[in-house]
Amino acid sequence: MRILSFVLPAVVLSLVLQAQTSAPVKKVADTKAPPAAVKNFKESGSPVAKVGIELYTDYECPACREFYLNVLPILNREYIATGKVHLLHRDFPLPQHKFTKIATRYANAAGQIGKYDLVAKQLFDTQPEWSQNGNIDVQIGKVLPPGDLVKVRELVTSDAHLDDTVNADVQMGSYTDHLQQTPTIVIVANGKREVIGGAPPYSILKQYIDSKLK
Amino acid sequence: MKRWLLIAGRLALAALFLYSGIAKLREPWLQFAISIEGFKIVPDYLLEPMARTLPWLEVIAGAGLFVNVLAGWAALATALMLVVFNTAGIWAYSKGLQVDCGCFGSGAADPIGPKWFVEHGGMLLLALLVTIGCFQRGAKTAPEPGRAGAPAIA
Repeated sequence: MRILSFVLPAVVLSLVLQAQTSAPVKKVADTKAPPAAVKNFKESGSPVAKVGIELYTDYECPACREFYLNVLPILNREYIATGKVHLLHRDFPLPQHKFTKIATRYANAAGQIGKYDLVAKQLFDTQPEWSQNGNIDVQIGKVLPPGDLVKVRELVTSDAHLDDTVNADVQMGSYTDHLQQTPTIVIVANGKREVIGGAPPYSILKQYIDSKLK
Repeated sequence: MKRWLLIAGRLALAALFLYSGIAKLREPWLQFAISIEGFKIVPDYLLEPMARTLPWLEVIAGAGLFVNVLAGWAALATALMLVVFNTAGIWAYSKGLQVDCGCFGSGAADPIGPKWFVEHGGMLLLALLVTIGCFQRGAKTAPEPGRAGAPAIA
């Protein structure tokens, strides 16, 4: 039995070390999986940044709203605008949310005319209203000039390929990153994808990113 | 307490703590920090140290129980940890917080509710029984003063 005193700690330690070196993440992404096609409007920051963050959100999810409105602006200012981090938005509309798909179409249609950030922010800002009545158009109309709103409406109603990137993101989220919730952050650094479910407060996200930037 | 019952309880507790510790260590510490933050008890500056150390404490306690080295103290440590977890659970539940406790890594936990309390209350009871059993057995098997191997008391 005493021999176990030496063997077990060694086994546990090797298990943990193996986990931390060869599989340090909750789910290591399948590197063979093709990356989802994304439009440029969903990316920001330097493409050669040492750390990449892929942010899966659903426009009707309150925790995503919290993260988008309270954490993302600081992250943008401190890390993305300074070229330290590359950000990629990924859409992951949850089936239980009634209006999220149409909201996603509005955001991506706005992206086609160069107004993605403006409309995405407006969708999260006004989420408590449109998630009740589904009247997304009214909320978008508050931030877009009439001409742009007409273009967005046209794209929302008639662009058959508007959901292509969404479908690719959902595939990526479901089968590569194995999402269990939104928001989910994928931190890409040193050739690894670390999938982190939930919305961390900025202070600990900052500590984590800093550790990856070292 | 019967010897075989104590061994079974000790090994079950060891398995629980080894599993939960290793499950957390396999994930980035940020994941567990998010779970801890969900309870709204721990200040932000303590989240990283807690998320990094707690899983190791679980593994060390679990290993101690498994190999029966300082098992009484290891069981006491698990009981104390479970008192903290249960208290945090009661706090979160009373505040209506939707918390994934991250007890066995992310995505594996039930939301905090009656089922969670039954499970964690049961684990606490087990930890207390094993603690008492280990210390009682240790006291029974300790060499008497004056016998070979026992420290002489002046």
